[in-house]
Amino acid sequence: MSFLRLCVSASRRVESRTQAVGSVFSGSARSASGAPKDQEPLKKAKTPQGRFDAPEKSGDVLEKFPDDVNPVTKEKGGPRGPEPTRYGDWERKGRCVDF
Amino acid sequence: MATVRAASRLLSKRVLSNTKAVPAAAVQGSRNFHFSIYGKKKSAKVADDISTQYPVVDHEFDAVVVGAGGAGLRAAFGLSEAGFNTACVTKLFPTRSHTVAAQGGINAALGNMEQDDWRWHFYDTVKGSDWLGDQDAIHYMTEQAPAAVVELENFGMPFSRTEDGKIYQRAFGGQSLKYGKGGQAHRCCCVADRTGHSLLHTLYGRSLRYDTSYFVEYFALDLLMENGECKGVIALCMEDGSIHRFRAQNTVIATGGYGRTYFSCTSAHTSTGDGNAMVTRAGLPCQDLEFVQFHPTGIYGAGCLITEGCRGEGGILINSEGERFMERYAPNAKDLASRDVVSRSMTIEIREGRGVGPDKDHVHLQLHHLPPQQLATRLPGISETAMIFAGVDVTKEPIPVLPTVHYNMGGIPTNYKGQAIDHTNGEDKVVPGLYACGEAACASVHGANRLGANSLLDLVVFGRACALTIAEEHKPGEKLSPLKPSAGEESVANLDKLRFANGSLRTSEIRLNMQKTMQNHAAVFRTGSVLKEGCDKMADVYQSMEKIKTFDRGIVWNTDLVESLELQNLMLNGVQTINAAEQRKESRGAHAREDFKDRIDEYDYSKPLQGQQKKPFEQHWRKHTMSYVDPKTGKVTLRYRPVIDSSLNEQDCAHVPPAIRSY
Repeated sequence: MSFLRLCVSASRRVESRTQAVGSVFSGSARSASGAPKDQEPLKKAKTPQGRFDAPEKSGDVLEKFPDDVNPVTKEKGGPRGPEPTRYGDWERKGRCVDF
Repeated sequence: MATVRAASRLLSKRVLSNTKAVPAAAVQGSRNFHFSIYGKKKSAKVADDISTQYPVVDHEFDAVVVGAGGAGLRAAFGLSEAGFNTACVTKLFPTRSHTVAAQGGINAALGNMEQDDWRWHFYDTVKGSDWLGDQDAIHYMTEQAPAAVVELENFGMPFSRTEDGKIYQRAFGGQSLKYGKGGQAHRCCCVADRTGHSLLHTLYGRSLRYDTSYFVEYFALDLLMENGECKGVIALCMEDGSIHRFRAQNTVIATGGYGRTYFSCTSAHTSTGDGNAMVTRAGLPCQDLEFVQFHPTGIYGAGCLITEGCRGEGGILINSEGERFMERYAPNAKDLASRDVVSRSMTIEIREGRGVGPDKDHVHLQLHHLPPQQLATRLPGISETAMIFAGVDVTKEPIPVLPTVHYNMGGIPTNYKGQAIDHTNGEDKVVPGLYACGEAACASVHGANRLGANSLLDLVVFGRACALTIAEEHKPGEKLSPLKPSAGEESVANLDKLRFANGSLRTSEIRLNMQKTMQNHAAVFRTGSVLKEGCDKMADVYQSMEKIKTFDRGIVWNTDLVESLELQNLMLNGVQTINAAEQRKESRGAHAREDFKDRIDEYDYSKPLQGQQKKPFEQHWRKHTMSYVDPKTGKVTLRYRPVIDSSLNEQDCAHVPPAIRSY
C-alpha cells in the first residue's frame, strides 16, 4: 500500500512533466485509490472577450439595413433609419443638421 | 549645398517623373525641399525686429492658408498640387474643424436620378438667395458642381449609391427642375449620415499626399499688410508661445463663421470669425454680415437643433403660461407655420415676458402628450437626443428651445475667383495677395439666404477656385516683395496687453454680455427700436473690453489669452452685424424686419415693370453691405456695393431677372 502511495506521489510529480507517462501512472493511481479530487482546479480562461463574443446589444435605435441597402429606395450605403429628409430638413435621431 | 540638393533631387521620385536637364541656377528658383539633411527647416529664421520679449520666427512660403476646414484643406492641397510651397496655419487639428459637423449632403446636378441641368440648380440658388447673390459666382459654383462631386468621389469619398452604382441623389433644399416649373429635383448626394465628416477626412487624407506644411494649433493674429497689399500672416504658436510671421505672396483665409457671437448657436466654441476680424483690422470691409440664418427650435444651452418633424408629428410650442401660443400668430398653420414665422413668434413671446426658465429666455417644445410608441417609430432616437443634450425625458417633460444661429451668409467679400475685393469709387478693386473661401468668404453664392446642402459645395468649389486663381497668376518660387521688419508689432503689443490685462471684468462675463445682447436684439425679431437699443448696448460692451481681466500670465498654452483674442474677434463681428442690420430697412431672406416687411428693390417686381421708374441706388436695398470698423472706438461705417446680375457667359446661362420669391 505504501509502495502504491509512493508511486502515486511520484506519478504526480512526473505528471506535470510528461503527459503520456503520467497518464499511465495517474490512471493506475486513480483506479487504485478511488477518485482523488483535482488538486489544481481549472482556472477561468484569461483570454480577453472579443467584440463579437458577447451578443450585440440592441441599444442602437437606428438599425443597419441588411447588406446596407435600403429596401425601399435601393440606396446602397445611405443613412440608416427612416429617410432623413422626410420633414423637409435633414433629420437624424431627432436632431436637425441641415435645413 | 548645391551638390547636396542635386543628390537629393535625384533621389526624390517626384523630380524623376519630370526630369529634364535643369540648370543649377533654375533650382534656386524652385521651392526648397520639405526635408533637409540636418532635420531643420532652413527657411525659418528667428527675428529680433518686433519684440525682444517674445521669440519671433520668420517663415517664407509661396502661399499661406489660414484655416483647415473643408475649404482650407481644398485650397491648401490644390496649391501644393500646383507646386507652390504652402503652409496651412490652423488653430485646430484639421479633422476637428467645424466642417465635421455638417451632416447634410452636397447638391450637384449630376442627373443620376432624373434628367438634370446645372442651369436649373443655378436658378434655384439665385432664387433662394433672394436675388442678393452674385450671379457670376453662382454660375461658377453650379457649373463646377458635378465636376467637384466627381472629384471628391475620385479622392475616395464613399457616397451612397443607386443600384447601378451611380451616386444616389435625394430631394432636399428647395431644388426644382426646369427653372422651378418641373417639380422637385433630386440633387443632394450624401455619405450615409455624415457627409461633412467624410468630406473632411477625405480631404485631409488627400492633402497628406502633397507636402503642405501644417502648422497645427497656431492661432492667426493678424494679416501683414503693406500699402494695401497682403503680405502674409502673423500667428501665435499656442504650444510654446512663440510668434511666427508667415511671409507669402498669397494668403487664403478659410476660417469659418462666427456663430459664437450669439448666445444660442449650433457652431463649435471655435467658430469665432477670426478671418473676418483679421480683415476688418486690416481696414478692409466685410460683406453682408447682417444675414444670419436661424432655426426656430434649438436646444437651450446645448445648441443642437430639434427637427421640424417634431412639430410635424404633433409637438407644440408652449410659453410660461402653458399656452399654445402659435395659435395666435398663425391661426391656420399653428405650429406648422414656416420657420421664420415660428422663430419670430417665439422671440416675441420671450420679449413680452412669457418665456420659461430662471431667465425667462426660452420656450418649451412639448412632446409628452403624444403616445411614446408613435414617437419611437416616427422619430427614432429623439428620446436619446433629448436626454443627452437637454437632460429631459421627452415622454414626461418638455424640451427647452429657442431660435438658434446656424450659418453666416456674410463674410469677406470676394469675386467669383476667390480674390478678396474692396469697393472704392464705385468699382470693385481686388486686394492683391488676399483670397478667401468657405463660410468666411462671401462670394455671395448664398446671398440673403442659404439653401440646404449648398454650403459643402461652396467649400470645395471655392477652395479649388482660390488655388486655381493663384496658380494662374503666380508661379511657385516667386521672389517675395519686401516687408518692413517691424510688420506685425501691433499684434504683438495687443497680445502682450491682453496677457497682462488687469481690469475688472472677466473674459467670460464680457462674452456672455455680448452674446445675450446679440440674442436679444439682433436675432430673429428685428425692429428699428430694438436694433437701435442693441447697437448702443453693443457699443457699451465693446468699450467694456478695456476693462478685461485675464488670469493666466504664462505663455505656454494660455487658453485664457486665446479666448480673449477670440473675444476681440467676436466683438468686431458682432458690432458689424448689428449695425448693418439696423441700417438695412427692408426684409430680405434671413434678415426680416417687423417695421419694413417688404423687399425694396429698384423696381417693384410684384407689379409689371412697364411704366415703373427705376429707383436710384441710394433708395433701394438690392445691394451688398460693406462694413468697416475702427478697432479702437468700435465705430462702424457702412457703404454699399451693387449686386452682380450678369452670369459669366450669357449665351451659356442667361442670368435670372429678379422676381418675387415665393415657394
